[in-house]
Amino acid sequence: MTAIRISGGRVHDPANNVDGEIRDLCLQDGKVVSEVGPDARRIDARGMVVMAGGVDIHAHIAGPKVNAARKLSPDERRDHPVNRSEGLRSGTGGLVPSTFTTGYRYSLLGYTTVVEAAAPPLAARHVLSELRDTPMIDKAFLILMGNNQVLFKLIRQSGGAVSSQLRDAIAWWLEATGGYGVKLVNPGGIELWKQENGNVTSLDDEVTGFEVTPRQILDAIAGAVDELGLPHPVHIHANNLGVPGNADTTLETMRTVSGRQAHFAHLQFHSYGGKPEGLPRSRASDLIEYLAAHPEITADVGQVMFGPAVTMTADGPVSAVLRDLGADKWINHDTEVETGCGIVPYRYRSGNYVHALQWGIGLELFLLGQNPWQVMLSTDHPNGGSFLSYPKLIRLLMDRAFREDQMARANQRAIQRTALTDGLDREYTLNEIAIITRAGPARRLGLREKGHLGIGADADVTIYHDRADREEMFATPRYVIKAGEVVVEEGELRRSPDGLLLSSRAGFDPEVSRVLEPLFGERYTVAFEHYPVREAALREPAQVVEAQRS
Amino acid sequence: MPEFGPITCAGCGLLCDDVLVDAADDAVRLTPDCDLGAQWFSERLLRPAGAPSATIDGKPVDVGSALTRAAELLRGARRPLLHGFEHATVEDARAAVALADRLGAVIATDDGEWAGAPAVPLRGASTATLGEIRDRARVVVIWREDPESTHPRLLERLGIGGGVERTLVVVDDSDTATAGRAEVRLGWPPGRDLEALTTLHALQRGLTVRAGELELPLSGLLKRLRAVPHVAFVYGAGLTAGAGGQRRALALHELVRALCHERHAVTLELPGAPGTRSADDVLAWQSGYGGNVDFASGHPELVTATQPLDDVDVTLLVEPGSAGAAEIALGSLAAGPGVEVWIRTAAAGVDGGGTAHRLDGVPLALQAPLPGEAPSAAAVLTRLLAEVER
Ligand code: SF4
Ligand SMILES: [Zn+2]
Repeated sequence: MTAIRISGGRVHDPANNVDGEIRDLCLQDGKVVSEVGPDARRIDARGMVVMAGGVDIHAHIAGPKVNAARKLSPDERRDHPVNRSEGLRSGTGGLVPSTFTTGYRYSLLGYTTVVEAAAPPLAARHVLSELRDTPMIDKAFLILMGNNQVLFKLIRQSGGAVSSQLRDAIAWWLEATGGYGVKLVNPGGIELWKQENGNVTSLDDEVTGFEVTPRQILDAIAGAVDELGLPHPVHIHANNLGVPGNADTTLETMRTVSGRQAHFAHLQFHSYGGKPEGLPRSRASDLIEYLAAHPEITADVGQVMFGPAVTMTADGPVSAVLRDLGADKWINHDTEVETGCGIVPYRYRSGNYVHALQWGIGLELFLLGQNPWQVMLSTDHPNGGSFLSYPKLIRLLMDRAFREDQMARANQRAIQRTALTDGLDREYTLNEIAIITRAGPARRLGLREKGHLGIGADADVTIYHDRADREEMFATPRYVIKAGEVVVEEGELRRSPDGLLLSSRAGFDPEVSRVLEPLFGERYTVAFEHYPVREAALREPAQVVEAQRS
Repeated sequence: MPEFGPITCAGCGLLCDDVLVDAADDAVRLTPDCDLGAQWFSERLLRPAGAPSATIDGKPVDVGSALTRAAELLRGARRPLLHGFEHATVEDARAAVALADRLGAVIATDDGEWAGAPAVPLRGASTATLGEIRDRARVVVIWREDPESTHPRLLERLGIGGGVERTLVVVDDSDTATAGRAEVRLGWPPGRDLEALTTLHALQRGLTVRAGELELPLSGLLKRLRAVPHVAFVYGAGLTAGAGGQRRALALHELVRALCHERHAVTLELPGAPGTRSADDVLAWQSGYGGNVDFASGHPELVTATQPLDDVDVTLLVEPGSAGAAEIALGSLAAGPGVEVWIRTAAAGVDGGGTAHRLDGVPLALQAPLPGEAPSAAAVLTRLLAEVER
């Protein structure tokens, strides 16, 4: 593999306390090295900004719900054709791109690792097949466990405590699917939705038929994941998403998992004050205050961007609410034993009070927080907007004048109710951007060789023109290097490597099969012995990150 | 021949994965019993020995010569078409879409019939996996389908007749095996389906409607649907095929969506063939569109039923269900007389493996209980692509 010397660039590598120093970066055999020989390819990066490749900690890019959204909206993709070319596949772009196009677009944006944040474990083979067809990036997926009837049984048996059986079951499930981490979506609520359109509204509501509560589910699974020492902690989409007043639920959820590591997904959608039937207001500052006192909690923002979006979630009851707001299209899909799914194409309008408030709350979360390692960039793609809008979001954070101009175009009643108008004049630095888009997510995912440029790190590097227009700068990197290969040059794709599947592994007692098998037999329509994905083609090429039990 | 299992049967879209196969005495028996599955296995297990691995104009050739000839045909084609997929795996479909993309071909996953445009993109749908319906639905309405012959274990797998209190309603005016098992049977000619569905929807909304002799049975059905917390509708080509199919399917989804406001309601679509769902899912993720896609312009474009393909000059059949006429066919069963180049492939689920999507979307592994020499269609398509690019 060729060696590369990136010379004279301004390096932003916050994980190694490098903040804009001009220095050379050497790459060989897919890794960052201290020195390369004189024959190394030289990339002249003078006047450019050098960062590790971007890491997206929460997006929806592959699997049955993403594919259902593609089938649902052919009209939306008709305007975004992507032609085939030498070595590259054709496809369609838009909010829910086809798989190859997803890989190409992320790479063109300087991202080299992406996490699919919500995969039904039963659909693992489908998720893996799509990820196989998503080139350029390393990818991982989180498996949905917050409404799993088998886990409910185990949690009830242990009276809500973490049991070795629960730990083993979770480790078994990761092994069976190739998943990377554990996701909880509206714990308990989706099961009730599938029973008879129900939901939970508080952490102490009982899940009918299972005698467990959201609080017990959260407590037990967060504890089990923590004890297993998985590289990524439990990833939580809390109850009551989108409901005015849900900030109390979110805070209560944070308190429930306290003492354990936890990541909260798209915090913006969970930061509302007000009464359930009334208009929301912002409680971003309360959540940021809690985060400041609890370093074990992190979040991604789930910023909404004005314009079109596609909401897609395991949280079926939330989609039904959006349906009833007058949606043309609505998909509901129930997956036995495990989860639900809802899809509604959507549009965030700057003049709409609620949408402008959501937009403002997202920015508040970014701007009020003092620790960028705790609050990471996401749009919950494509729920709050496409990942293609990240450069614009970065500009909103880095460029106060631009932000104020955009604020002035949004619903004023909403904007006035946020802290944005309280002299919140913060502008993110390039180092802070590097933290929220790569160093922070990589660290939170437990990917030690990603998100930074120290010796031994993966040679995933993005080189940007240093432009005053930060949107333009981040939208069109000059070079992207993936695993030591230059894949984007002059803003064009040059190569299309496959990228790796990132899986995690934790040891477990194989005897857990004896516990699981009868429970599977009662509930699934797939045989226990056929559930685990053993097909090598679906699981390779992979990098396995071992759990570290404390 | 040995007994093996439990393995996955790919005899229909249900992909039952609990099947024991007993292939003694030149006759195949399945446990649990299923005639369709037994027939599917016997066609593939009891293939005549010594069959050629490829033919050109019916004469045995080696696979290399067949590939060369097939690649020539495809390279020379002005308007190639890939279709079939009745027995395709996910892997086969991945390789087929890759080839179609390279050739600028049209690819059709709906077994080559130009079925009506799908209704789902208009308003969406509410769907569920088999286990959800089995464990929760208290009324199951089967709309003009006969799963007892096309998906023989469907009723069993939905728990109908399994002791749980549940009502099977069948809408059909012909005396099918499925209708024979209905607790409630409703019959009117297919031509009145749209009227029936819109009337049900109107009644659900509390409107007064005059629907003649349909009114009474439909009010009765609505009452049953409303009396339970969870209902399911099973439908397929019986509703959606032919003129007006998209409108009828849309009417069903609108009705289900309306019912969803008061209770949980879901649908389950029966595909025309076991491989259809896999091929359609792959086409959707690789191109962005399900159904039929044209790559001629260099990028995928959706082909609708209103665009007939009279100018196709070379057809490539991938794992077809029956031996239709085509220039090239890749399949595990012998080609019919109308095929110029045929390459024998492994039957996924018998002598080859792979992944397939069940009719409800659940992905499953197909085992290869008797691994053989024949390559998978995916492998042949990949070699064909390399040959075309040479
Ligand atoms: S119902 Fe279908 S999949 Fe199941 S055994 Fe019969 S033919 Fe095979
Ligand atoms: Zn999400």
